[in-house]
Amino acid sequence: MKRTYLGEFEEIVLLTVVLLEGKAYGVAITHQIIEQTGRAVRLNQVHAALHRLEEKGMVISRMGEATAERGGRRKRLFTITAYGEQTLLDIQAIRSQLISLLPRALKPSISL
Amino acid sequence: MKKNLPPAPPQPPRWADKLLAWFCAPHLLEELQGDLHEEFYFQAERLGYRRARWLYVREVLGFMRPFVVKRQPNAYTSISYSSTSFLPLSMIKNYFTIAWRNLWRNKGYTTINVAGLSVAFCICVFLFLTAYLQLTFDAFHQDKDRIFQTYFFANNPDRITRTGNMPLPLAPALKSEYEEVEAATRVLTSRRSLITYQGKHFDKDVVFTDPDFLKIFSFPLIQGNRQNALNNNSSILISQSVAQAIFGTEDPIGKLLQITTEGKQKGYLVSGILADAPYNSSIRFDALVRIENSPHYLSNQTNWTANSHQVFVKLIPQVNQATFEKRLKLFTQKYLAEYLQSLQKKGAKPDSRGDIFTVRLQQLSQVHFDTAISNGPPIAIIYALLGMAFFILLIACINFINLSIARSFTRAKEVGVRKYLGALKSQLFVQIWSESALICFMGFAIGGILAHLLLPEFNATFDTRLQLAHLHQPGFLAWLLGIFILITFIAGGYPAWLMARFNAVAVLKGKISLKKPGFLRNSLLVSQFVMSCLLTCCTIIALQQVKHLRTKPLGFEKEQVISIPVGTLADGRQVLQRMRNKLANDPTILAVTGTSVNLGRGKDHVSSRSTMGLTYKGKEISSDMLLIDYDYLKTLQIPLLAGRDFNRSYPADSLDRVIITQSMVEMLGEKQPVGTFIKDDADTTGGKMQVIGVVPDFHLYSAAEEKRPIMMHFSQSEPINYLFVRVSPQSLKKAMNKLQEIWREVAPGSEFTGSFLDENIDAWYQSEEKLAQICSLASVIAIILSCSGLFAVALLLMEQRTKEIGIRKVLGASVTDILFILSRDFVKMVLIALTIAIPLAWFGMHQWLNNYTYRIEISAWVFVGVGSAAIILALLTVSFQSIKAALMNPVKSLKTE
Repeated sequence: MKRTYLGEFEEIVLLTVVLLEGKAYGVAITHQIIEQTGRAVRLNQVHAALHRLEEKGMVISRMGEATAERGGRRKRLFTITAYGEQTLLDIQAIRSQLISLLPRALKPSISL
Repeated sequence: MKKNLPPAPPQPPRWADKLLAWFCAPHLLEELQGDLHEEFYFQAERLGYRRARWLYVREVLGFMRPFVVKRQPNAYTSISYSSTSFLPLSMIKNYFTIAWRNLWRNKGYTTINVAGLSVAFCICVFLFLTAYLQLTFDAFHQDKDRIFQTYFFANNPDRITRTGNMPLPLAPALKSEYEEVEAATRVLTSRRSLITYQGKHFDKDVVFTDPDFLKIFSFPLIQGNRQNALNNNSSILISQSVAQAIFGTEDPIGKLLQITTEGKQKGYLVSGILADAPYNSSIRFDALVRIENSPHYLSNQTNWTANSHQVFVKLIPQVNQATFEKRLKLFTQKYLAEYLQSLQKKGAKPDSRGDIFTVRLQQLSQVHFDTAISNGPPIAIIYALLGMAFFILLIACINFINLSIARSFTRAKEVGVRKYLGALKSQLFVQIWSESALICFMGFAIGGILAHLLLPEFNATFDTRLQLAHLHQPGFLAWLLGIFILITFIAGGYPAWLMARFNAVAVLKGKISLKKPGFLRNSLLVSQFVMSCLLTCCTIIALQQVKHLRTKPLGFEKEQVISIPVGTLADGRQVLQRMRNKLANDPTILAVTGTSVNLGRGKDHVSSRSTMGLTYKGKEISSDMLLIDYDYLKTLQIPLLAGRDFNRSYPADSLDRVIITQSMVEMLGEKQPVGTFIKDDADTTGGKMQVIGVVPDFHLYSAAEEKRPIMMHFSQSEPINYLFVRVSPQSLKKAMNKLQEIWREVAPGSEFTGSFLDENIDAWYQSEEKLAQICSLASVIAIILSCSGLFAVALLLMEQRTKEIGIRKVLGASVTDILFILSRDFVKMVLIALTIAIPLAWFGMHQWLNNYTYRIEISAWVFVGVGSAAIILALLTVSFQSIKAALMNPVKSLKTE
């Protein structure tokens, strides 16, 4: 099986792009990630990830409409590519396969 | 006092924005900044302004990542960005490639431009070199700032006279009386002297001078000792070329040379070899000997009234010329009081500096241009040449600018498309400018090659010795480079700038206006025509003046007379006698005579003049002295007004008899001149001369000069230097050949350098002639250049007006109507140019003509002629294009849109 290079953070960003369905751009993705995962994510980290994703062909981008709160500047809107979706599915498959192969169920430990 | 304004919306820190804009790749800036601002407002609302600002800065700094800083401009050229407007070197090559293709596609335009520029540049090189050679006259002497030529200044009652001829005792007196004078030398170039060495004869210019000559002038001494080379009265210094001619490979030092000057022979020992004087040296010599050897030295060495030679002095450093001239007043009063008194008697008043008669100094660098003390051209002519060079270059540049502007409209679409595709103004400017630079470069290169090829031709035609090597000095090359850059920037830069400014949208919509730069273009065309009309008018008037001088009656018949210089080897009197015997029975020879002074300038290039001043019945009279022989009047067909010619049947004629001219009669104030005795009041011992005949005035020297009184005398002892032979009109060439044959018998060993007198006379006007020729050449080139510019502008205008013409035709305009419309503007411009040029030309030439005693009146026909010629030329130039445009099928021209 072909190896897909997708970092963990990239995976989160890619999933968020799917989640936002056509409204995915830097700020929205950042806020969504913060909201959903509670991670302290910064804009530039997201942008860097998006850049790498675009280079890998997982997402494509286009310039969207301008909005007033951005000082009339346009957004770059990201959408996932078929290849990106395939990659996400592959990752999921590998994980579920691995989990299914585990000798025992995973139990999070309770710290006192 | 603050008013209650709503609080300004919070803004992210400016500097952080700028920082981002600086490091961020242009194509990423918009989205990143947008995201950052959006986040900022979000955070500002949530966390407050201060915290949001802090976060903003942190985010911006966080964006300093390779993917943000890395630039990928190619994919995003449509975004205008200014931070990369500096020239990428790789693009320059591309610009030149594009420029070359563009030029190649528009061959007509390129040819006109390149040809115009190269011709202009070539002629500029010639004019510039001519001027350079003249302006650097004598500039090679090391201490040129301290070297002066002395001259006499006299403020006569009617005019100021200046002369560089000095008496023999002057230089030694100056040197002994003034400690400011570091060195002083006399320079006397006599008639050609004969140098004899081992039976070989050479006619050379031997200069009589003082040992200080070598201290003042820095002619390099190739062999010999500078300190004592001329210490001996029998030493001779020879020039390198003379050394080569006489001795070949032999060592000349210490060899004995025999030199014959005016019949006296003396032996000299060669003590050194001097480098040849360069072409631009006022002082020329083949050999130098001590002035004590000059003829008449002994009789004149204490005579303050016999002026014969030039004097050069070298002052010690830090001596001011004006102060020294003031000190010379006393000198004049001490030694030259006679002159002073006689001038005072005539009623001369002191000039602004308080001088009636004095010795003054002329800077060596100015000597060449001082027409009173040397025979160089007036400096105004040199400036005229430089001005002409400037004009021609200007005309070529105007052509260049006009063509580029005119063409910019046909190229507007290209510019529009380029702009639309994202080309920056600066890029467009460089691209268009590089085309101009390429044209300029080609023009200069071809011009340079042309100059190189035509230089020998130019030198031969105008009798100069220009060398392109003069241009190889770093200073000049820098100038040249400067001019080149200036031309490319002015002539290429302006249209490029104009085009780069085009509004892309307007251009693509076809809305670019044709009117706007029309004013500039028209004024440039007008000034071009002003210049060429000016040059033409001036040239024609100058040519008329020269022709006037040439055809003006001289007072004698110059046709059919052959003039033969006797040379230095033979004795003129003997040769004349033998000649007369030989030709006595020849029917084709009408008269033979001898004289001391040639008329015009013959093949020996020698001119000499002897004048005599005397006081006659209290009046100061100055007259030319002319030695003649029997039949002089007959040979030159000068009629007698009264009295008789010299005649063999009056033996006393050979003593103290003179024939005088009419103006001499007027000077003497005698009603009955024949038979009167002319005698110098001041000289009691001198003989008196009886007038035996009166002839009308004639021009002994240039016809440009005033006719001066002449006394013609007959002498058995003074040397005859020229023979004049009048031949019958049928066989001029044959007579010349015959004389050449006879010459071998009558003057064995000496060269025959006979020439026709009318040709010699023409040689008088050589400098005017040369100048007029150079002017004609320049004005012809100016006119051709102007016309080619007009032609090209017309060509491009027609191209732009094709549709207008088509519409006019469709609406019923006839071909003549269209021709009229198209030509009208051009004729208007030429008319404007003429109204400017004509008064200027009239004024300028009026001033110039004032230099001549015998001058023409400026005829209005010159201006009418030049004016109509200019209009006709302009019409012809334009009409070729107009007719083509007018005859075009309107269907074709209108269909294109």
